[in-house]
Amino acid sequence: MTSDVMISASGLTKQFGSNRALDNVTFDVTRGEVVGFLGPNGAGKSTTMRVLTCFLAPTAGTATVHGFDVFEDPLAVRRSLGYLPQRAPLYSDMNVQEYLLFAAQVRGMDESTFKSRLSKVIEVCGLAQTLTKQIAHLSHGYRQRVGLGQALIHDPPILILDEPTSDLDPNEKAEVLRYIKDIGENRTILLSTHNLAEVEDSCARAIIISKGRVVADGALDEIRSTTGRVRYVVAVDEKMAEGAHKPPSARELQAALDALKGVRGSKELPTDEKAHRFELSGAQDSDLRAELYRLMVQKGWTLLELRRDAQSLDAVFRELTRGDEELDRGRPVIDDDEDDDDSAENSDDKE
Amino acid sequence: MSPMMTIAKREFRSYFDSPLAYVVICLTFLLLGLAVFWVGGFWKVDRASVHLLFQYMPVALAMLIVPVVTMRSMAEEKRSGTLEMLITLPVKDSDVILGKYFGALGLVLILVLATALYPMAMFWAPWNLGPLDMGPVWSGYVGLVLFSGTAVAIGLLVSSLTDSQAVAFFITFFVLVVLWFIGTAAEHVDKEWLANALMYVSFQSRLDGFSRGLIDTRDVIFFLSAMVLALVMAFRALERRRWV
Repeated sequence: MTSDVMISASGLTKQFGSNRALDNVTFDVTRGEVVGFLGPNGAGKSTTMRVLTCFLAPTAGTATVHGFDVFEDPLAVRRSLGYLPQRAPLYSDMNVQEYLLFAAQVRGMDESTFKSRLSKVIEVCGLAQTLTKQIAHLSHGYRQRVGLGQALIHDPPILILDEPTSDLDPNEKAEVLRYIKDIGENRTILLSTHNLAEVEDSCARAIIISKGRVVADGALDEIRSTTGRVRYVVAVDEKMAEGAHKPPSARELQAALDALKGVRGSKELPTDEKAHRFELSGAQDSDLRAELYRLMVQKGWTLLELRRDAQSLDAVFRELTRGDEELDRGRPVIDDDEDDDDSAENSDDKE
Repeated sequence: MSPMMTIAKREFRSYFDSPLAYVVICLTFLLLGLAVFWVGGFWKVDRASVHLLFQYMPVALAMLIVPVVTMRSMAEEKRSGTLEMLITLPVKDSDVILGKYFGALGLVLILVLATALYPMAMFWAPWNLGPLDMGPVWSGYVGLVLFSGTAVAIGLLVSSLTDSQAVAFFITFFVLVVLWFIGTAAEHVDKEWLANALMYVSFQSRLDGFSRGLIDTRDVIFFLSAMVLALVMAFRALERRRWV
């Protein structure tokens, strides 16, 4: 292990009664990395983070943070990291400045260091106008900012953020993500989320966890290619065709597309235009675009759109984290509604 | 300032950020005044003594002050999730427990010491009803302080076992009231060993000596060990979260 490994989890297992929340979770995070920690709700993201922050002890396995063992030196571990728990639980009877002062004092910070750090935190978290407000009266977005401020007050080398952008509006989200990218330059950040667009924006690497196990770990491009597929989007006009040819019906088009060599499946996509729009998946190392073009020419159909991209992280994520095991383990299956909400959110973000 | 003192200070201040502390203080003085001067018959005794104060104050502590003050200390932190934020700061679990303990004890002791206003008002200024024998007053307060220390530790223990303030209040209330009146129950028990055992753990019989001017080391050690035991158990209850 090199000294550049800032967070190291090895074989972490956590058993809650008969429920195995973590199952042999192993990963390393090195200095300066911003790592997205992904997984559906209940996959074990928060549990892993609680083990790393010494709030929970693992049933088996070990972890070190900044070189300190979570069992042997929990205080040194906590000193070297800033942690924002899920939903930013804060003392609602204090005002923002009092709360930040409290966090600083517990960390043994002296008055003058606190003052200089405070002005920095105010600047980056945008807290200037809320400093004297009671936390109970803040919106959720502002509480999240205060929680982030608390995690940063001692200028830690490592940040562990559990869903830092949940419940934020799109502007706030973008702000927080931009900020995370900024501070990530000389810090190590482990950030959990189930919002994939965020990972694509702010992290170079992702760890995907499902049912307590790490199912993917690597650079985003690597993860995208793990399923070995490429995605194509094809749209064909449903009213117009070349010369004497007839425009295709959706079924005709799908049959023709499926018949192409190398197509591993097709799915109709919704569209506003008067067109049939399909998503195809093909093998990683092939290119179907020429075939598709020839098909259109031969049939005389009007091609309105043709696009090839690596499979979206969203699709990879779903593929990796969906399984029957949830039922085996007696956990509720993640229902589609929730996923749909998420993807709707994602598209909002991109706009 | 040590992390423990920082937590204690925050805890103490937070009582005054809500109406809770003010309500408890006012209610205590009102009820204690009624009990001592009206129900208890301070005037009928016709002696320069504040014995009645030491008779009623522990009951107020057991039935009202301590359950109200300690009910939220750990329970509310667990319910709202702030415990996770607190514990993941670089603090020891023992700092958290002791910080909470001294924060709550601080408020209770202020109330206990504030009751000294009654004897001061009656026997010094503005009224001077007679020469007060100070011995029992001092020892009475030593007893009250010890009793408060133990009762707060028990309340903190109960609060760290639940995440509901209401449950914490009622269980603390119940435990303290039982431990207070258990001595009275002992008089009606015919088995001698049982009666002795009940008298042994009864807070009332333990405090009796103090209010008569008698500081018995056995009583002092009884309260101190009960206090330490409850604190250690509260510490274990907090630590347990890591392993379940």
